[in-house]
Amino acid sequence: MTKFSVNDRPVEYRMDPETPLLWALRDASNLTGTKYGCGTGDCGACTVDIDGEAIRSCLVTIAECEGRLVTTIEGLSRDRSHPVQQAWVAEQVPQCGFCQSGMIMAAAVLLRGNSSPSDAEIDAAITNICRCGTYPRIRAAVRRAGRVLRGEERIAAAPPPGIRPEDAARAVPAMRAPPGS
Amino acid sequence: MAGIRDTVGRQSGRAPLVTRRSLLVGATAAGGLALAWSVWPRDYRPNLTAAPDEHIFNAFLKIGDDGHVSTIVPQCEMGQGVTTLLPQIIADELGADWRTVAVETAPISPLYANTLVVDEDSAAFMPRAGVPDFVADVRGWVRREWAVRHAVMLTANSSSVRMFEGPCRDAAAQARVLLMMEAARRWDANWQECDTQDGFVLHQGKRLRFGELAAAAARLTPPDPPVYRASSTDPLYGKELTRLDLPAKVDGSANYAGDIRLPDMVYAAIRQGPFGATRLKSIDKKAGLASRDVLYVVEHERWVAAVARNWWAANRALDRFAPVFETRGPQISTDRIDAALSSALAADGWRIAQQGDVEGAMEGRTGIAAEYLVAPALHAPIETRSATAAVDGDRLRVWVATQAPAQCRAAIARATGLAESAVILFPMMAGGSFDACLDHSVAVQAAIIARQIKRPVQLAWSRAEEIMRVPPRAPARAKMTATLNSAGGIDALVSRIAVPATNHEVRARLFDHIPADIAQRNAAGKADAAAVEGAAPLYAIPHHAVDHCPADIGLPTARWRGNADSYTAFFTECFIDEMATRAGSDALSYRMAMLGDAPLLARCLLTATTLGGWEGGLSGSAQGLACHAMRGSYIALLATARPSDGGLQVEQLVAVVDAGRLVNPTIARQQVEGGLIFGLAAAVGATTDYEGGVATARKLHQLGLPKLSQSPEMLIEFVDSDREPGGLGEIGVPVVAPAIANALFAATGRRIRRLPLSAHPL
Repeated sequence: MTKFSVNDRPVEYRMDPETPLLWALRDASNLTGTKYGCGTGDCGACTVDIDGEAIRSCLVTIAECEGRLVTTIEGLSRDRSHPVQQAWVAEQVPQCGFCQSGMIMAAAVLLRGNSSPSDAEIDAAITNICRCGTYPRIRAAVRRAGRVLRGEERIAAAPPPGIRPEDAARAVPAMRAPPGS
Repeated sequence: MAGIRDTVGRQSGRAPLVTRRSLLVGATAAGGLALAWSVWPRDYRPNLTAAPDEHIFNAFLKIGDDGHVSTIVPQCEMGQGVTTLLPQIIADELGADWRTVAVETAPISPLYANTLVVDEDSAAFMPRAGVPDFVADVRGWVRREWAVRHAVMLTANSSSVRMFEGPCRDAAAQARVLLMMEAARRWDANWQECDTQDGFVLHQGKRLRFGELAAAAARLTPPDPPVYRASSTDPLYGKELTRLDLPAKVDGSANYAGDIRLPDMVYAAIRQGPFGATRLKSIDKKAGLASRDVLYVVEHERWVAAVARNWWAANRALDRFAPVFETRGPQISTDRIDAALSSALAADGWRIAQQGDVEGAMEGRTGIAAEYLVAPALHAPIETRSATAAVDGDRLRVWVATQAPAQCRAAIARATGLAESAVILFPMMAGGSFDACLDHSVAVQAAIIARQIKRPVQLAWSRAEEIMRVPPRAPARAKMTATLNSAGGIDALVSRIAVPATNHEVRARLFDHIPADIAQRNAAGKADAAAVEGAAPLYAIPHHAVDHCPADIGLPTARWRGNADSYTAFFTECFIDEMATRAGSDALSYRMAMLGDAPLLARCLLTATTLGGWEGGLSGSAQGLACHAMRGSYIALLATARPSDGGLQVEQLVAVVDAGRLVNPTIARQQVEGGLIFGLAAAVGATTDYEGGVATARKLHQLGLPKLSQSPEMLIEFVDSDREPGGLGEIGVPVVAPAIANALFAATGRRIRRLPLSAHPL
């Protein structure tokens, strides 16, 4: 049985039940924000939220996901509005970006349970590997996202996707609205 | 900023890349070729495509009727921020509103050749020493001409801004003048009296949007030479603008080569044989094809690929195909590598650089010597090699991250028998790279598989393949010998470095499509100045020499973030520390006494030690210093590190960097943070042993890469500077290992002369 929920939608994967969740997400659901980096749980680039836990999706089979709720980076928010996403842009965390989905998912799960984690708690919760060296910014961004979650700060650093041309023209004088709008 | 911008184009740094003199000399030498560099020739335009409401101004710039500004970036985005930096330069000169700026990757064209890298690296093949200036100039022109003709669009050597700031500014200046000319025509004004700001052309209270002018402006003829924008009250250059790629990198929508999805696409995994003269001997076809969801198997002389409905099924099937490879010749092993380095060090080498009279100065005096050993270094980006390929009629479409797109396309064409014009390359962002994307084998393999199975296919290497099959940065062994003056200062220094002639290998693989094992053999014994780059010290040492002792280690080697400087700085900066200890001198004052001719480096060192609270290098202080210069930038690092129950503990890194003027200080800081972490990884791991022709490591955790919990506290300062921009991608890397090694000596009194440090517990 391989029926469960991905980003609030019910799915059934007609795949080998032993298939790691990572590959069902990537190759069957085309949710490519979750990345393959090692397949052995070392890098954390494939981290997703399963029932509120940060799990390496390369280490869990789709059979083991039966009946559970899976959230991927695509389902974290519809419009990059999650405090972790906003803090990640405000602190300019990503470089190549490849490991960042996993980092963000791990941070989001950590902060849901504890909006003011200590450095030691952050270190324990985020065991993902980043080769570009975004670590110092990750610490800062997790703390900042915590402040947003605690209502101490608001951030509007990352714009939502899909801005309409008319709205862009209203906000930016150099832009022209398309004809007929 | 204003002062700098006013003189743009009139100072040598931003002058056209080919000087008038070298152009004339070159034209004579090469038969009357001439290129108009100051203004981008329109003849090259057809190579860019535009939407119906977009207007091409030149190779770097399109403007839409709606006012959007599309900047064209001819470099691979691998995290270094180039898809923000070059647009920022363009937007600044153009007078655009940053919110209207978009980015496209450049198509393959001679217009985007990175002549700077070719020029810098030419030292590897033609050491300049002893060549009269005039001849060097001719050769320089020929090299650049070669780079242009072959569209050598390399992303390497921290060169993106150093190479493309000038062309980007020229391109923006040209477009800006055209917009002003069109506006002036409509206003019946003089265009020289117009200005631009925030996406508008301005003149005496009147203003027109770029978008309203673009269509007509793009058809005008610009003046020659380009006219630059005078100072702006609010320049974009130097601002901490948010990277353009960040929104897509926090919601999973940023696409890498392995994220392409095409109708009917299938997934491939691969097993390749060991380095060396390898061939695929046999597979168990029946067992493999019986695996669930497996569709095809593709056999090649040197590899086998399984193709399935998902990647995991393909990779699992490879176990059942049980490929057997046969490798002729001696097998690569760590022991053999070490022996080859030792024997190269003992044999004759090539003198690459020399100053003073080393032999004379050392004769009859007792030299002090120390040997250092550095293990091979893996790139280990989190993205494994990935490519997507699809046959499209007579053509082939390939999506891949590459640092040399023209050479990647050529490699694909050569392997498939297609014409280069039939191969359409989509350059993707890289998930790290660190120079691993100079290797094109994954693109070639994906192309071969797609043509054989006649379906779109995505190939991703497993982590084990990535560790085993990407040639690492070379291992190196050095013998440092010095004689001292009466005060304990260094009078003469010889850096003898045994290391493979990596750059000959890289060139043969990249440009001549020679297999890695043959390129490795052919390079044996050749002089390679770039393999010992960074070894000539900036210290005022009266007599010094750098020797390259080419080592034939059997293992193919590659370029890597920081390249040779990553080991030469370790050798020099550890040895200098040893000499300071011997002289009974503080490591800071010992260095400062020799930095009279290198004031920029001296300033970095003084600032770093002040910021970090240098305690004088006393025994037990756990502080270590290192400094280095490369690619026009300078760095000094103060590390605090000591052994602990849990292994080596790096507590703090305090770095001061002079990288000239900064296009974007935030990205500059990211690059130094990243370089330090990358250097830290190489100081403690990022390596593997070799046995029986293959790497012994298979999994990421075996590489000992640092995690957040091992990430030290970092303090990074930039020196305010008006100098031309220096490179930033690599400058953080080389100083980390020597600073930590020196700190460990201060902490323990034990000197570690090997990298990685952690392999040799204290």
